[in-house]
Amino acid sequence: MTIVDDFSLLKKYGFRLLPYFFVKTEDDAVAAAKKIGYPVVLKIVSPEIEHKTDVGGVKIDIKNETVLRHTYRDMMQNVKGKKIDGVLVQKMARKGLELIIGGKKDPQFGHMVIIGLGGIYVEIFRDISARICPLTALDVEEMVAELKVHPLLEGARGKKPINKKALEDLVLRACGFMEKEGIVEMDLNPVVFDDEGCDIVDARFSR
Amino acid sequence: MKMIQKLKFIFEPKSVAIIGASKTPNKIGNVLLRNFLDTKFPGKVYAVNPKYEEVLGVKCYPSIKKINGPVDCVIIATPAQTVPAILTECAAKKVGGVIILSGGFEEVKRDDLAAQIREIAKKYEMPVVGPNCLGVFNPYTKVDSIFLPMYKLERPKPGGIAFVTQSGAVGSTVVDLTAYYGMGISKFISYGNATVLDESDYLEYLMNDKTTETIILYIEGAKDGRKLLQTMKKVNKIKPIVVLKAGKAAGGQAAARSHTGNIAGSYLAYQAAFKQAKVTEAEGIIEVFDFVKIFEQPRPKGNHIAVITNGGGIGVLATDHIENEGLVLAEFSEKTKNALQEILPEYGNVANPLDLVADAGVEAYAKAIDIMMDEPNIDALIIIVLTQTPPIDERIIHVLTKASDDRRKPIATISIGGTYTEVYRRILESKGVPSYNSPLSAVKAIDKLVKYANYQKQLK
Repeated sequence: MTIVDDFSLLKKYGFRLLPYFFVKTEDDAVAAAKKIGYPVVLKIVSPEIEHKTDVGGVKIDIKNETVLRHTYRDMMQNVKGKKIDGVLVQKMARKGLELIIGGKKDPQFGHMVIIGLGGIYVEIFRDISARICPLTALDVEEMVAELKVHPLLEGARGKKPINKKALEDLVLRACGFMEKEGIVEMDLNPVVFDDEGCDIVDARFSR
Repeated sequence: MKMIQKLKFIFEPKSVAIIGASKTPNKIGNVLLRNFLDTKFPGKVYAVNPKYEEVLGVKCYPSIKKINGPVDCVIIATPAQTVPAILTECAAKKVGGVIILSGGFEEVKRDDLAAQIREIAKKYEMPVVGPNCLGVFNPYTKVDSIFLPMYKLERPKPGGIAFVTQSGAVGSTVVDLTAYYGMGISKFISYGNATVLDESDYLEYLMNDKTTETIILYIEGAKDGRKLLQTMKKVNKIKPIVVLKAGKAAGGQAAARSHTGNIAGSYLAYQAAFKQAKVTEAEGIIEVFDFVKIFEQPRPKGNHIAVITNGGGIGVLATDHIENEGLVLAEFSEKTKNALQEILPEYGNVANPLDLVADAGVEAYAKAIDIMMDEPNIDALIIIVLTQTPPIDERIIHVLTKASDDRRKPIATISIGGTYTEVYRRILESKGVPSYNSPLSAVKAIDKLVKYANYQKQLK
C-alpha cells in the first residue's frame, strides 16, 4: 500500500483530503500544480522514509513554477540513495491550528481514538485525550475540554474558535473507518483547523 | 437462575463446607474453619477432609457427597490438581456456589486445569469465585473465606462499601484498613484469576445488592475490556464506582509505526474507558478511602462550597484547592450573613471561608453549621477544626456527627495534627463522618462527589 492507495481509501470513507496528485517527474509536478493552483506543497513518497520532514522530504508554500522546479530538484538531492516512489503535489493547507486525530486497536478495549495537539511535536507534548469507539458527540466535546491546549481551540488571542463540528465529524468518521477496515493504527496528522473547517494534510494507517 | 444471581448462595449461605479443613495450625484449611467458628457463623459449617474424623471439634466428612442436607457455599483449599474432581462432586451435590482459594492455575500456565473448571461451572451453571484468591467476606452474614487470622487482619463492620479486587494482597490490606478506620463494608470479593466469573459479573451483582451503596474496584488487567466498559457504565449510573488501576507503567507498543501507536499505551485505553463510564479514578490506596468516604454523603446540588474554620491559614489553603479544582466558593445571602455575624466576635468578619477564629468554641461551630445548612446558596460544607485550640473539646465530635447525619448537604471535615488530633479523626471516621488530614485531599474528594452528582443529575 502506498500513500496514494491510503489516500484513495480515506476519500472513499468521506475524509476530505486536500486536492493532490501523485507524480514521478518534474514536468508532471508542474502540470499538477497548475491544475491545483499555487501555492502547493511537495511531499516525497518513499517506503524507506518514516519522517519526511526530517530528511527534507516536505516543502511547503511553493508559490510558482520556478520555485517548484528548484524545490523538486533540491528534494531529489536530499533523498538521494533512498528508494523513491514519486512525489505528492498537494494544495497548500489553510492556516490554522494543527491537531492530530489518531486511533489504534487496543488488545483489551478494541478501537480507540485520540485527539491532540498535532504536528511534528505530538510525542513531545503528549497533550492528548482518548476514548473507546464507538463514541458520541458528547464524548468528543469532553475530549476537547480535556486538552491542555483547549483554549486554543476556543480561539485564544483574538482568533476565532475552530470549527468543532468538523472536528466531531472527523473523530466519529475515524472510529467508523477503523472498525470497518480493521485498522490497527492510524494518524491523521496534521489536520489544520480554522473557524470554517479543516484540511487533512497527512494521513497514515496500518492494518 | 443465572450464574450471577446464584452468587447469593455464596454471599448469603445457610450452610458452608470447607474442603481441605485441616488440624495443622496456620494451614489455610485450619485458619478458615477457625474463623467460621470464632465469628459464630449462624449457619451450618461442615469440614471435609478424608484424613480426619473431626477438626477443631467439628465432624469431618470424607467428601462433600457424604454430607446429608444441602450445602449452599463450598470453599475449596486443596491442591490445584484435585480441584476439577471436587468441583464435579459439588455439581452432583447441587451446591449453590463454590469459592476456589487454591492457586496453581492460569498464573502458573495450567490453563488446562482452568479450562476444566470453566467447563464444569458452565455446564451446571454453578458460580465459581477464583481460583487463586481470598474469596469473599460479608459482615452481614459472616461468611468469610479470607484465610488470614482475625488477630492479624481485622474484619470491618457491616456498611455500604463493596470492594471488588483482582489482587488478594491489595484486598486484604484494604479490608484491614477499612476496619482500622472504622468504616463499614457490604461485600468483599477477591476474584483472583476470574476463570468463571470476572470483574464485570461482580459489578453486575453488586448493582442489585441492597446493602451496597458504593463500589471500589481494584484492577490490574481486565478479563474483558469491552464488557467492563459497558458494565461500569451501567452500574455507575446507579452506584458510584471508585476504581484503582495498577500496572500503568507499560508504555506504547515497541513496534508502533504511528504517533498514536507510540503515545497510546494500554493505560490510556483504561483511562478512556473510566472517563466514558464516568467512574471515579483514584491514584492510590489512600485516595480510594478519601473518595469512598465522601460518597457516603448525600449528593450536592451544585458546586458552591462553604468553608468554616477556626484557623485562617488552613482556610486559605482550602480556598486555593477549591479554585484549582474548578469548584466555587458560595456567596451567602443577607439573611445568612446577619445570622453569622451574631456568632462571630466583634472583630470577626463574615466571609467565605468563615473564620470563627481560635477563640471559637464548639457552640460557634454548631450554630455556624446550622445556619449554613439552611442557606440554599451552599451545596457542600468543608469544616476545618484545629483541635489544638483551647476551647475545642470532645463535644465537637457530636457536633460534626450531627452535621454528617443531617443529610441536607454533604460535609467533609479537616483536622491536621499529631497523635491527639488523629484520635479525634479516628473517632469521627468510625461515626461515618468524612475526615481528612489535608485540605487538598478533602477538596479533591468533594470535587469527585460534585462531578458524580452532576453526572447523575444529567441522566435524569
